[in-house]
Amino acid sequence: MQDVHKNRSRVFVVGLSFVFLLFLYRIGTLQLVDDKYEKRAINNALNKITLYPARSVIYDRFGKIIAKNAASYDLFIFPKEEKVDNRLFIQQILQIDSNQYNKLLTEAWINSKKRQKNNAYNRSAIFYSNLNQQQYTALRENLYRLSGFYIEPRTDRAYEIFGGAHAFGYLGEASEQLLKEDPYYQPGDLVGITGIERYYEEFMRGTKGIKTVWQDRTYKQRGEVQDQAFNYPAKSGPDFYATIDIELQKFAEELFNGKRGSVVAIEPSTGEVLAFLNKPDYNPNDLVGQDRARSFRKMLIDPKKPLYNRAVKGVYPPGSTVKTVLALIGLQEGIIHPGSTKGCGGGYRMGNIVVGCHPHGGPLDVVGSIRISCNSYYCGLFREIIDHPKYGSTHNGYRVLERYWRSFGLGDPTGIDLLGESSGNVPTVERLAKRHGKKWRSSMVISLGIGQGEILLTPLQLANVAAILANRGYYIPPHLLKKVNGLKNNGLKEEYRTKKIIPIDAKHFETVIEGMSQVMKPGGTANGIGINGIEICGKTGTAQNPHGKDHSLFIAFAPRNNPKIAIGVIVENGGFGATYAAPIASLMIEKYLMRDTASSKQFMIDRLKSTVLEPQ
Amino acid sequence: MKYQYSSSDNNKMDIWGVFFYILLVAIGFINIFSVTSDVNQTSLVLSDIAYKQLFFIGGAIVIILTLSFANVVLIDYLSYYVYAIVILLNIAVLFIGKEVGGAKSWFGFGGFGIQPSEFLKLATSMALAKFLGGYGMRFSGWRNVTYSIGIFLFPVILILLQNDTGSALVYFSFFLVLYREGMPGYIIILAFWMGLLTILSIVFQGLEISSYYLVGTILGVGSIAVYFARKSRQWVVLITFIAVSSAVFSTIVGIVYDKVFQWYQKDRIEIVLGLKEDKQGMGYNLDQSKVAIGAGRFIGRGFQNGTQTKMGFVPEQHTDFIFCTIGEEWGFVGVIVFFSAFLGLLIRLIQLSERQSDAYGRILGYSVCCILFFHWFVNIGMTIGLIPVIGIPLPFVSAGGSSLWGFTLLLFTFLRYDQVRRN
Repeated sequence: MQDVHKNRSRVFVVGLSFVFLLFLYRIGTLQLVDDKYEKRAINNALNKITLYPARSVIYDRFGKIIAKNAASYDLFIFPKEEKVDNRLFIQQILQIDSNQYNKLLTEAWINSKKRQKNNAYNRSAIFYSNLNQQQYTALRENLYRLSGFYIEPRTDRAYEIFGGAHAFGYLGEASEQLLKEDPYYQPGDLVGITGIERYYEEFMRGTKGIKTVWQDRTYKQRGEVQDQAFNYPAKSGPDFYATIDIELQKFAEELFNGKRGSVVAIEPSTGEVLAFLNKPDYNPNDLVGQDRARSFRKMLIDPKKPLYNRAVKGVYPPGSTVKTVLALIGLQEGIIHPGSTKGCGGGYRMGNIVVGCHPHGGPLDVVGSIRISCNSYYCGLFREIIDHPKYGSTHNGYRVLERYWRSFGLGDPTGIDLLGESSGNVPTVERLAKRHGKKWRSSMVISLGIGQGEILLTPLQLANVAAILANRGYYIPPHLLKKVNGLKNNGLKEEYRTKKIIPIDAKHFETVIEGMSQVMKPGGTANGIGINGIEICGKTGTAQNPHGKDHSLFIAFAPRNNPKIAIGVIVENGGFGATYAAPIASLMIEKYLMRDTASSKQFMIDRLKSTVLEPQ
Repeated sequence: MKYQYSSSDNNKMDIWGVFFYILLVAIGFINIFSVTSDVNQTSLVLSDIAYKQLFFIGGAIVIILTLSFANVVLIDYLSYYVYAIVILLNIAVLFIGKEVGGAKSWFGFGGFGIQPSEFLKLATSMALAKFLGGYGMRFSGWRNVTYSIGIFLFPVILILLQNDTGSALVYFSFFLVLYREGMPGYIIILAFWMGLLTILSIVFQGLEISSYYLVGTILGVGSIAVYFARKSRQWVVLITFIAVSSAVFSTIVGIVYDKVFQWYQKDRIEIVLGLKEDKQGMGYNLDQSKVAIGAGRFIGRGFQNGTQTKMGFVPEQHTDFIFCTIGEEWGFVGVIVFFSAFLGLLIRLIQLSERQSDAYGRILGYSVCCILFFHWFVNIGMTIGLIPVIGIPLPFVSAGGSSLWGFTLLLFTFLRYDQVRRN
């Protein structure tokens, strides 16, 4: 038979070869152009699981554990794998309704998308944080059938001692803004919000680790990636030793029971903060775990403002406590000398203005004026300083005074390792001009001489003045970090290791300190509040304020020679300085120096603990 | 291997055919083994699927040995009977078969299943060869043409009834055989034209543009052509006929596409045509399949290292999508080796067909070649996104007994025939 179409076999060979080449070209464009498919394949199959580090354990200055870590569990979800069938079950366990469930799911979708942008390896997102024990157990047992869900362990704070809340601060979930600014954080991460938890967040949080696992299409883990480059363990935050003496702190908190105010105690030679207390305060243990959000909301709207950090944010007229500073300035400027006396007719009179003074005998020298806290003396001294002819004008004289005040750390933040510290207020010439007119005279601002009027200090600044007096002319900015082993300089910033010198000679300090010592002795404003065997130097203050009863203030340090503790106390609406502030300071000093208080003081302690100034 | 004994005239079975066959089966087994092995598995432990495949390969060897004893006269003689029996089996399966994955095309024997449609290809090839290879037969005349086409279109209906669209498509490869046997070339061109019109109609449907635009364009272009060819009456008639019938055809396609296809079928088609981007839904498989192949780069990610395929991102990774494993683990180099082996086999089959002493052998050879080509074309085209996702195995490479045995039977029936009957 004749095969007329034999040449068509060639068409076949050419045609087939052509199709093969066409396909080969297409495959070449997939494989050889770039590595985008390879990257996508890797992204598909690897899941980087975050290993959460433990936060720094917080110790007090003597090594007592204050805050450590407890395991907590968050429920995560791969939103794509979520199944409608399981919803009811999960809603029951978490005790949420379907609306809440849908809201959580929507959030998870959004977070999952965001997460993919930052870290293409993980498509999951947090669904529900801080499972309680019951929820955790119930979910864990059923996890195998809850498609798309998994539980991630992380750590939360667990407090051993409930004290120093405002110093140590609390944790909260990373805010929207933080997530935007710092890619280290993922939604649901706990970060320090206030206190040293916030200030030292960067090293207290530790370093997250990563475990890379193979994962299949259904997000089931299929074993660890062996390559070490893909796995590194979480690194815990280093042990954090705070400067706080927690026993002293707790003692002070008890004494302050039912009162409103603040105490800061500082070790003068180092600037270390020994006690840092605000009342009202809160129990740090309320701001952990599942109750965190609820408690937090409650505290936010609480009229007592338990979250308010008065010690660094609250500003108070310092009252007579700053007479010590004015005396030093007068002495240094040579406007008075230790023997300069002034008479007091029960008040300071200028025309028809009278600044009242309590009854006391005879003309007083510097020491006596501090012991008695004579208003006339300091009103006079204030005018003498700023009106002194050597400065040319009252305003120039005031500028000299203001410079001295600022050298004491007044009117500027002290630089403590907490965020949001207030500067207090030391008015400038211009500021006073706004208030009293361009041509203000010394008589118009006379109350500044006795710590009233425009001058406002934070309790921390007040305590720092006590530390400066104790040091006879210098201070180290107060701070809450004692040491972190393994960090350079124990983690202390340069400024916490550098003395700030006040331009006043030490001999002038001795004069003022003698006066402060006599405050605690017969004839002094705080007579009978001292301690046997320890010489305390103190100064009372009773600050008028427009909001109600006078504030009770006290600054002190002890012992007189080689002081170990300086302290500033404000009891809001507590009346005379000697009524509440001075005994609290004295008891705290005793507690700190003797590690206990004499039994004879028990009466005083009980009285303070049971006095409720603020309606509960 | 002992493929060469017992031939009646001491010819050996074609060594190249056997070589390419062994190469392809080996490529298949290596990749099945790799893709079904455990994640992080570096030792040579066989998975269940790989074990099964070994068993199927053993079965294939038995088939080859059996065939090497077969009497080729009997092959020729029995063609129609085989065709009839297999057709009957395929009818029977419609009633007593079991359903697997939506297709009612399996006979179940305990844990095993057999798909009679796998043998229908060989039976159809034999029947077509018998019919067209008859003495003095010419591929012309309505009767002959109708019979020839009927021989392979009838199985298409049966397979469509079994709900196995992919396999049904393969029978269109017999048109290529008919071309070799003298079917005019313009029919192939016509088929291309119809294919183009079909795609255009679907594109218009998919973009939701009224089909009047397409019809208008066709008729417009036709009118212009008629104007230029107005001097020749013959051309005017021809062009008018083509334009009108094209317009009618595309209108019908548009309507059929709109009314007959299910939404998910439309989705698949429209994703391939690039009308729809849907990486999570329908397009997911396609997308992941491309990622797998693309991830291979030049030299591949290495044996057992194809995460795309191993971890299930690519579906059916050891059967219909086995090519993804080749692409991912062996890269462009592996693809070239595999393509060379496959193209080598096809060209060898053409050569063998052309050296047959009778038309029966030639037609059988071309049928085998075209069926294998079509399978390869649809399967690879699907994995690289040129053709809609149609479940159809890659000959000799995909895991599974029916397919391996069916193709082995197909290939070696012809190789056995060639062994005895070659010139």
